[in-house]
Amino acid sequence: MRKDLVFGMAGSGGDGIVSAGESLLQAAAAEGYHGVMTKSFGSQIRGGESSCRVRISTDPILNPGGNLDVAVALNWEDFLKFGAELPVSGTTVVIYEAATGIPENQIPLVGVTPLQVIAVPIAEMAKSTAGTERAKNTVVLGLIAGWFGIGAVAVMKGIRKKLAKKGEELVEANQRAFDAGRAFAMEHPLKASMNVVASETKGQTKLITDGNDMCAAAAIFAGCQFFGGYPITPSTEIMQFFTDHVWKYGGSVLQAEDEIAGIGAAVGASFAGKKSMTATSGPGLSLKSEMMGLASIAELPLVIVDVQRGGPSTGLPTKTEQSDLFAACFSAHGDVIRPVLAPTSVADMFRVTIEAFNIAEHYQTPVIVLSDQEIAARKETLDPIDTSAFKIVNRLVPTSAELQDYKRFKQTENHISPISHPGMIGGTYLASGIEHVESGAPTNSGNVHQRMNDKRTKKFEPLKDRKDLFEVAGNPNAPIAMVAWGSIAGVCREALALAQAEGLDVKLLVPYLLYPVAEGVYHDFFTSVQKGLVIEQTHLAQTFKLLRMHIDLPKGLRPLARSGANPFLPSEIVAALKTLVSELQRSHEGNLQPQE
Amino acid sequence: MSATGTCEYQPKDYKSDLKPIWCPGCGDFSVVQGIYRALAAIGRPPHEIAFVSGIGCSSRIPGYTTAYGFNSVHGRALPIAQGIKMANPELTVLAAGGDGDGFSIGGGHIAHLIRRNMDITYIVMDNQIYGLTKGQLSPTSQKGRVTCTSRFGSLEEPVNPLLYVLAYGAGFVAQASPTDLVGMAATIEEAIRYPGFAFVNIQSPCVTYGEEAQQIKGLKAISETLASLGHNPADRLAAMDLAQHYGEKLHLGVFYRNPEPPPTYGDLVKERQALLSKDAPPKERILDLFIKK
Repeated sequence: MRKDLVFGMAGSGGDGIVSAGESLLQAAAAEGYHGVMTKSFGSQIRGGESSCRVRISTDPILNPGGNLDVAVALNWEDFLKFGAELPVSGTTVVIYEAATGIPENQIPLVGVTPLQVIAVPIAEMAKSTAGTERAKNTVVLGLIAGWFGIGAVAVMKGIRKKLAKKGEELVEANQRAFDAGRAFAMEHPLKASMNVVASETKGQTKLITDGNDMCAAAAIFAGCQFFGGYPITPSTEIMQFFTDHVWKYGGSVLQAEDEIAGIGAAVGASFAGKKSMTATSGPGLSLKSEMMGLASIAELPLVIVDVQRGGPSTGLPTKTEQSDLFAACFSAHGDVIRPVLAPTSVADMFRVTIEAFNIAEHYQTPVIVLSDQEIAARKETLDPIDTSAFKIVNRLVPTSAELQDYKRFKQTENHISPISHPGMIGGTYLASGIEHVESGAPTNSGNVHQRMNDKRTKKFEPLKDRKDLFEVAGNPNAPIAMVAWGSIAGVCREALALAQAEGLDVKLLVPYLLYPVAEGVYHDFFTSVQKGLVIEQTHLAQTFKLLRMHIDLPKGLRPLARSGANPFLPSEIVAALKTLVSELQRSHEGNLQPQE
Repeated sequence: MSATGTCEYQPKDYKSDLKPIWCPGCGDFSVVQGIYRALAAIGRPPHEIAFVSGIGCSSRIPGYTTAYGFNSVHGRALPIAQGIKMANPELTVLAAGGDGDGFSIGGGHIAHLIRRNMDITYIVMDNQIYGLTKGQLSPTSQKGRVTCTSRFGSLEEPVNPLLYVLAYGAGFVAQASPTDLVGMAATIEEAIRYPGFAFVNIQSPCVTYGEEAQQIKGLKAISETLASLGHNPADRLAAMDLAQHYGEKLHLGVFYRNPEPPPTYGDLVKERQALLSKDAPPKERILDLFIKK
């Protein structure tokens, strides 16, 4: 019996692969399993290749998994387009459409012999039972229920609910297709059973959502009253959530004429006293950079979500990457610090988004939430979250005494000045992108500029002491370390567990706060470290370089960095860690050699 | 807003302590006077007014008022103004800037504020030149104009700001000039009172880089009030006809005022909020949306 299974399915756009994945995830949740689902597409709107990866486990899931346990190919051409996104290994069961005409011993996977290969007449079964090939995805779900024991009841319960409005006939057709798939599996048992053990938490309430919806819900919970944005893949669902829900809470949303107007309106709403937000992806972040500088010098709270995709320029618009790190930290000209936070999963997107609003409000600054396509689009099953445990911070407003002689940019001990907003008597001031004195009046003075730059940068010092924005796992004195953030952090958490199970003395640092770089936290973490990896989905090793810019890194620390789209596998990270261990052993042995 | 207006406020109540950086004789001095007078006539307290601008000589103007000002970045007064208005529809929101700010770098925004009918008054100080950067071609410079970036004469037709906004369907379109300060104040007042997007183009001479014909004397020579022509401001086609003479004639007053102003964006937002907030769960329970039973 298995505790954990990773499915990868691919087909053409109309095959309903993603909808099958969603049904499987929901059925798994109903049966008490933890689940994670990611989707990946070509850039075509209709047709083209479409895939999903569903991981189901009795234990909480840290990432979408490495090599597939089960691969489903409705046709090989589309499956192969995903390459290393859907990695097949010697432990994979491969199920594919028999109508492709390819014999089981000639499937087009180079350099790998799967555990078992099964051709199934999926289209034919769909047609003979449901009368249409469109039921292929339901046949696949039946096969999965039969072979792996997931969703025997729950899948059809979900489909029944989903199709209820479309009539009993359609539901019955799907039931027949599902039953046919399941019967086929029963008649052709796997060489080695891969049934998943039953979950002990069956019947408990579970949430299912993705990173974008979670981000928008968290923003509304944090008190966000305005969203200004422009459609861009893969962030658009955040704006869509606002258009569905923000009105209910007295807020509003503007699908602006362009990226600049979207953030501009959010800057205006913040000036007017409301918590506000915009969301975008790489190209939009580039366009928004001037406004981000404006919000920094005008000291206006604002949350900017950047859902990263492959760059530069249009890059890989539907695939994940972490290469906006430099742009998030350094876009917009001038000397400026803009906090950058990164969630590592759908679950912690809730906390990170609230934190972004709290930091924006407290420090009166734009804050970037650096999400990525994988977190944005992946669906996770979650245990219910107790929202009352989250503290909400609001901006410091001037007292009536302070309004007697109000100075918007007054120098204070902690460099944070009470902020008024239109409508507040006595609080009128000029907000501006031009340098200004304490009252807000424009100035060209070099001395004032120096003082104001001091104010605007020193105010962030306490942020670097926020140890709660970092996660350290593993033996704190371990000589071998990993550093990873965003969706890659989950892969490294699993790699850590695997490495520890093999007896490796390793630890992991996951920063949720990427910028400003908290030198102290890294210094403490690196004290015991002799060798280590900064693992990241960037071609230029941006994280490694960002850290090196701020910290004296251990000599044995090096990047494990590559471009996005293709996932990091926990197994390859463990292999890299083992290399570090043997290097370390060799160097110790070297040190023990008697000196000549 | 007090629709009647009171004598509670004087123009000086809207004047800040900042000394304008404008050149002596700049038309913008008159524009800011016109704004003080219009605001006093309306009688809205300064703290209930938000005044947004972009970049340029004229964009310094919010700082010279006692309203909540926002001197933002080049071309983006309107996006910021609409965010302010959406966040707090009770405010009086003004936006202002030059012809470059409004019709070149920020030219893409006007159409969208018009079609949303944002209740914002947009004042453009049009001087057919880039003054702050010392005299380059602007989007309203006439064809053939010689400037430091068009030594051999401009090769481009100018934008016609009046036709531009009329064509996009603005509900209130007017023109004013420092040649008639009383008329300018009245026009700005009417624009602010109009419930919806209102546009006022003000021919405001640049004394340093402007051409002779565009100075006060020259403007006076070509100016005519629309009232004296018997123009009916409810007639949009007649307004467009007259607007075609931009650059040759200086028509002063209201070109177009929609006699039946449609609901503003703010009105529609309020309606939607009222409709959808009725059965909304508290935001503390927003995650219930994700429960799968």
